[in-house]
Amino acid sequence: MNLAIETKKLVKTYKGRGGSGITVVDNLDLEVGAGEIFGFLGPNGAGKTTTIKILLGIIAATSGEAYVLGGEAGDIEVHRRLSYLPEKPYYYEYMTGLELMRFYASLFKIKDEAKCIELLRRVNLGNDFNRPISQYSKGMQQRVGLAQSLLNDPELLFLDEPTGGLDPIAHIEIRDLILQFREEGKTVFISSHELSDVERICDRVAIINKGQIVAQGRLEHLLAGGRVEITADGVDQAMHDALMAPERVVSLKSGRLILDIADTDDVNSILDSLRTKQCKVQSIIPRRKRLEDLFIEAVGADDVAKGRERGRMTEKGEAVAVTETKEEENV
Amino acid sequence: MHAVFAIARTTIGEAIRRRVLLVILLIALLLLVVAPGMNVLTARQSQTVLTSLILGVLQLSSAVIAIVLTVYMLPNEVERRTIYTILSKPVLRWQFLLGKYLGAVGALGLMMAMMTGTMILVFALVQRGASTDLLTGLARVPIMFFVQMCLLAAVAVFFSTFVQPVVNFFLSGGVYLVGTVFGSLFSTISENQNLPMVAKIGSNLIMWLVPNFAQYNVQNSVINQGSVIVSEQVYYAQMVIYGIVYISILLLAGMLIFDRREV
Ligand SMILES: Nc1ncnc2c1ncn2[C@@H]1O[C@H](COP(=O)(O)OP(=O)(O)O)[C@@H](O)[C@H]1O
Ligand SMILES: [Mg+2]
Repeated sequence: MNLAIETKKLVKTYKGRGGSGITVVDNLDLEVGAGEIFGFLGPNGAGKTTTIKILLGIIAATSGEAYVLGGEAGDIEVHRRLSYLPEKPYYYEYMTGLELMRFYASLFKIKDEAKCIELLRRVNLGNDFNRPISQYSKGMQQRVGLAQSLLNDPELLFLDEPTGGLDPIAHIEIRDLILQFREEGKTVFISSHELSDVERICDRVAIINKGQIVAQGRLEHLLAGGRVEITADGVDQAMHDALMAPERVVSLKSGRLILDIADTDDVNSILDSLRTKQCKVQSIIPRRKRLEDLFIEAVGADDVAKGRERGRMTEKGEAVAVTETKEEENV
Repeated sequence: MHAVFAIARTTIGEAIRRRVLLVILLIALLLLVVAPGMNVLTARQSQTVLTSLILGVLQLSSAVIAIVLTVYMLPNEVERRTIYTILSKPVLRWQFLLGKYLGAVGALGLMMAMMTGTMILVFALVQRGASTDLLTGLARVPIMFFVQMCLLAAVAVFFSTFVQPVVNFFLSGGVYLVGTVFGSLFSTISENQNLPMVAKIGSNLIMWLVPNFAQYNVQNSVINQGSVIVSEQVYYAQMVIYGIVYISILLLAGMLIFDRREV
């Protein structure tokens, strides 16, 4: 595989108070192939932005190696071939969209007014590029950011939380643009904690938590292994106890059993034993594993609980909430 | 250099829209307009007092603008993450810093030109009898002030690569005060035979480290018609060269620090 990004044992430690160090990126081994849409997922504070900044040479790694497009991270020649959309970016607000494009173009020595306008049209700002950016909505600002990131026709794009804080429509617009990049063969490195977006556009993902990769691979592989939910009535305690096993969630209340098992589990024999005991099977619902499940699995459910207690890591909290409501719908 | 000038231009565009700066500029312009109206002295006296007053207003407001303009420049770029998009382009850090500095100096020049223009215009209108000598003097002094402010801006930009804006405000302001007002105090200390060696070495060190801002205060040649600077052009040229050398050293040091810093 021709690699666009490669890191080997990348470490970033910030000096904490009293000399103790906080390791924010911990022995990170990443491989992103050329032409891939790569999702870099993790809760807030996981170290996503830090990793991207190291890959861009904006900050230095404490140890380890990082290569981007065949060069060392931060190489100025490599910067001609990539672009970066920071998290919650801000642009000089007094400028109009077009002025902003001219400014960024001049950093590449590009003096192509037509190209600036064409790119602004491409991100649906064709009618607004003469308005000052201070009048743009968040979504428009993000789109002007994407437009400027295309000025140098980059081979590799770093998008840090590109849909963060945007409404659903803006979400979709940004996603469609990223899908276009994919058709053009660009490599896109997207960091996000919003799983639903990434799920549909990424070829591969890495899940990072506390600076460490907890899962990495092709989405279809990571998402393999769904669950099946069986509901039955007229179940007694003995049956309940018999069904208890690791990797199963068994719950019984006033005769109604809800059983959550892996789809690799022996569904048939469970059904057989239920039926022999005259229990009434109400439903069998297969559930494909969603990225949310994977995320929570990888990041650790107890971590989520702890985060909730401390009132931090709200994104993970949200992810859990979403999962719960969806489960209710399924029942 | 392309990138440097693009960044400088943007910095000017931003600076001339900053409200704080516009307010300071407005107050300064107001003072420059109103001051000549306060005509309570005899003609001869009033011209002396007035020139020193308006040149003082010009210098003080320029210094305040120079500091306010520069101390927040880098921290703002980092806070608003505008610096990240720029540094992810083929732009080196020293180019960024240089662009920022040139932009600041450009904006400062524009504002000082505005103040100077206003000052001369109002002065010429109120003091009908003012000689052309006096008027060209009023135009010449701000040039030296401008070099002085460029130096001050370089001091502030240097500090801004490693200290917080508020600290920088007092640091740069302090350096300016030491370099202009207290300069003579330190030279008295270092020349005084009765003081301990430590004090003398200390004040010598300060005089050597702190840029000599005082030498740009050439207003006396205009205020007191009697006092003249011998071989004025040579003196001005020397002052400009001193400024450029000092600014270059400060910027180079700032670039070295900024290059290693985490942003
Ligand atoms: N300059 C810094 N000094 C100390 N800690 C930092 C610094 N920058 C980021 N961190 C810490 O590093 C961790 C990872 O941050 P970040 O990479 O921004 O996470 P993410 O982008 O995944 O939300 C956070 O806990 C953050 O507080
Ligand atoms: Mg982040």
